[in-house]
Amino acid sequence: MDKELKRMIRVFVSICILFIGLIVYLTYFQVFTASSIKNNSYNKRLWIDEENIKRGMILDRNGKILAYSEKEGDSMKRHYNYGRLYSHVIGYSFREYGKAGLESSYNNELLNLSENTPLNEIKKIVKPNSEGNTLKLTIDHGLQQYASDLLEGKKGAIVLMNPQTGEIYAMVSKPDFNTNKLKEDWKSIVEDPDSPFLNRATMGLYAPGSTFKVVTSVAALESSNIDYTIDCEGSVNINGYTLKDYNGKPHGKLNLEEALVKSCNVYFSQLGLQVGKDKLGEVSEKFMINKKIPFDLPTKKSTFPFNSVMEKTEIAASSIGQGKILVTPLNMAMIASAIANRGVMVEPVLVKEVISPEGEIVKSNDTKELSRATDTFTANEVKNMMVEVVQRGTGKNARINNVRVAGKTGTAENPTGKAHSWFIGFVPAEDPKLAISVVLESEGSTGGVGAAPIAKQLMAEAINKIH
Amino acid sequence: MGKRIIDYRVPRNLLVLFNSLTLLLLFVYEKERIDKFTLISAISLVLIIYISNFILLKISTGDNYIFLIVTMLLSLGLIMIYRINPVLGIKQVVWVGTGIAAFFISYLAVKKIKGWDNWTKLYLIASLALFLLTLIFGRRVKGATNWIRIAGFSFQPSEIIKLLYIFFIASYYSKEELCDGDIKNSYKLLAIVYVFIGFLFLQKDLGTAMLFYLIFFVIQYVYEKNRKLIYYNILLAVVGAFLSYYLFAHVRVRVETWIDPWKYVDNKGYQITQSLFAIASGGFFGTGVGLGHPDFIPEVHTDFIFSAICEEMGLLTGIAIIMLFLVLVYRGFKIGFNQQNKFFRIVAFGISAMFGFQAFIIFGGVTKLIPLTGITLPFISYGGSSMISSFIALGILQVASEDIEEGED
Repeated sequence: MDKELKRMIRVFVSICILFIGLIVYLTYFQVFTASSIKNNSYNKRLWIDEENIKRGMILDRNGKILAYSEKEGDSMKRHYNYGRLYSHVIGYSFREYGKAGLESSYNNELLNLSENTPLNEIKKIVKPNSEGNTLKLTIDHGLQQYASDLLEGKKGAIVLMNPQTGEIYAMVSKPDFNTNKLKEDWKSIVEDPDSPFLNRATMGLYAPGSTFKVVTSVAALESSNIDYTIDCEGSVNINGYTLKDYNGKPHGKLNLEEALVKSCNVYFSQLGLQVGKDKLGEVSEKFMINKKIPFDLPTKKSTFPFNSVMEKTEIAASSIGQGKILVTPLNMAMIASAIANRGVMVEPVLVKEVISPEGEIVKSNDTKELSRATDTFTANEVKNMMVEVVQRGTGKNARINNVRVAGKTGTAENPTGKAHSWFIGFVPAEDPKLAISVVLESEGSTGGVGAAPIAKQLMAEAINKIH
Repeated sequence: MGKRIIDYRVPRNLLVLFNSLTLLLLFVYEKERIDKFTLISAISLVLIIYISNFILLKISTGDNYIFLIVTMLLSLGLIMIYRINPVLGIKQVVWVGTGIAAFFISYLAVKKIKGWDNWTKLYLIASLALFLLTLIFGRRVKGATNWIRIAGFSFQPSEIIKLLYIFFIASYYSKEELCDGDIKNSYKLLAIVYVFIGFLFLQKDLGTAMLFYLIFFVIQYVYEKNRKLIYYNILLAVVGAFLSYYLFAHVRVRVETWIDPWKYVDNKGYQITQSLFAIASGGFFGTGVGLGHPDFIPEVHTDFIFSAICEEMGLLTGIAIIMLFLVLVYRGFKIGFNQQNKFFRIVAFGISAMFGFQAFIIFGGVTKLIPLTGITLPFISYGGSSMISSFIALGILQVASEDIEEGED
């Protein structure tokens, strides 16, 4: 074979390699990357249906209209009646910026879209749908507004829910943003160091501080051979590391109830060491820490890495809600709910019903048991102690006239240097109708001073409304 | 004889069947638009394709597959263009007709006229003249200044220069006194090629510039006696590529939108991301003709026709088109191998490489395998210049597939 022919063949083989490479690349693209590309919000194919379908309304639990769509010219315009107030619950749906909140997670219901199967394609031709379903939320608009007002100017989150049914009455995260002015504000929202887009209620991870002592108490009560009488000298040395109480004040000899009432760190660190990290971890997981919480909005997992190697100091820190434990405000509201609800934790619900344009209920979210967190007896014991916390302890600022409130405060140290101020609780103690969790991010005050009064005002308002 | 007209083993009959079926389906889809004129165009298209395949079989003793492959390719393109824009679809039928006429004219002219290999200087002068013309009278279309308008017709001179360029290089390497003589000649050739590429850069026609480089590179690789020059050429290209990246904003944009188009999804990267959406939405089997939204891609009927085909006919059809091009390149190379006349051997080789590289540049571009540079997909994209020049090239390839009487050697 002469040189010329040989070289020509080499050129041909190279071209073959190029073409076959192209085919391999395209096949790879189609198999692995295509599905995520297709769902990019810049893909206009996703929006083509929306031009023709009137997106469904979103109502609060009493039927008040929170969001609706209207035809304006050729396209549909989405209106948010209370922009800022529902920035994290309802979210937004804009061609340019995509979707967030319920507008994203309930997009198919709101547009009444079904899977693109051939059968559905035929159905579309026979009976084209021009109107989406309406969402009826569990949110009470008045309470949502009130909760938002209470948190105005602060950073943090509030979750107010029914401990027996899981219905969320109010869910606020601050800072928020105006969904009606997204176009104008987009740049400043994206660049804001306080991340207004983050739904702190479900996605914010905070050290729980002393509110976690509720879980530690349950773990202790479920264990045997625990010595409940511990002498608090104001500080304790664990493996060369000194753990202090608030202001280093000695509490003296304490039992569990007195320790919870006074939120004694020395007591609970000693108690936690007796319980051990495995039991503490096991109980935490029953309270849905380290577990995915099924919810209508995206949630972050609370974390407690107890399976890793832990020093004694770390176990001690964990039992008072410091160290590596991080929780979401929603999770803390659910922990309060579980204690209120005799140890049974139910799934949180935000969308009560999906209603078709004809008024038919297409889907309803009923109460589901999520986890048997503890037994009734233990739950009642912890409940009684939490009542004492509000009655005469660190939670006094959450007291409401004529109603018995149960709760626990928390002051969580964190890397910002300013403590998070926490309160979790429920009301009325004898037959709980409301559970709450309030967190003020980097507030710098104790839970009793910062979060407890806010929780009290919201619970007082809500207890009148709900009854 | 009569049997052969309906025999399914005769490839041109399959083509007619394919065309009739798809056109029928298109008409069902576009039923409210159909008028007499459309119907006549459709019927004449089927007839043109059938008759020209038939005539070619009678008059040419050479290869009878390349024309079949090309008519299949243009049928697919035509269906897609008609579906995207029926007005352009009808126009494309006219271009196809003109293209096929150009094919026969170029076939006959190249066959009858002798001495093609002697006009090295003429090819060079004509190309440079056309380049200068474009530079002076050029009109900016979609960012590239590569169109000129004469007597109401717009055309792209670079489409014609492409062929002159291949003839020029082929006549150079087929003349022993040029390529074996003074070593300076090889450097001169290299310089001239880079002048050509420079002109294309000035017109911002990066796709064609890349194509010119690749055509020259493979011919040089096969025929250059002074092997050192090949390395110089590679080196120059690498240095040139880096320099142009830093010097020209329009080159940088291409690279940036290739590396991460999603960052520029609503501006610079709009086209390529729209193309990726289309291909991704089509999947392997496509949405079905008329059921997708290829019209979301700007320039879908020219540079992005491949993405439209992938969306509505599926990636499998896309792969079939890639394979058809590979078969076309294979036939072209085979024609080259068997040709005794050195000039036509190089011309066949150059033209097949041109089809292959041009297709690859745009396939790779619209799928984000390589940076996107605007260039048409031969025989499939909408457009007269591209269709006619591709058919002229095919006519030359057809001549090269026959035995050509040798001159003195």
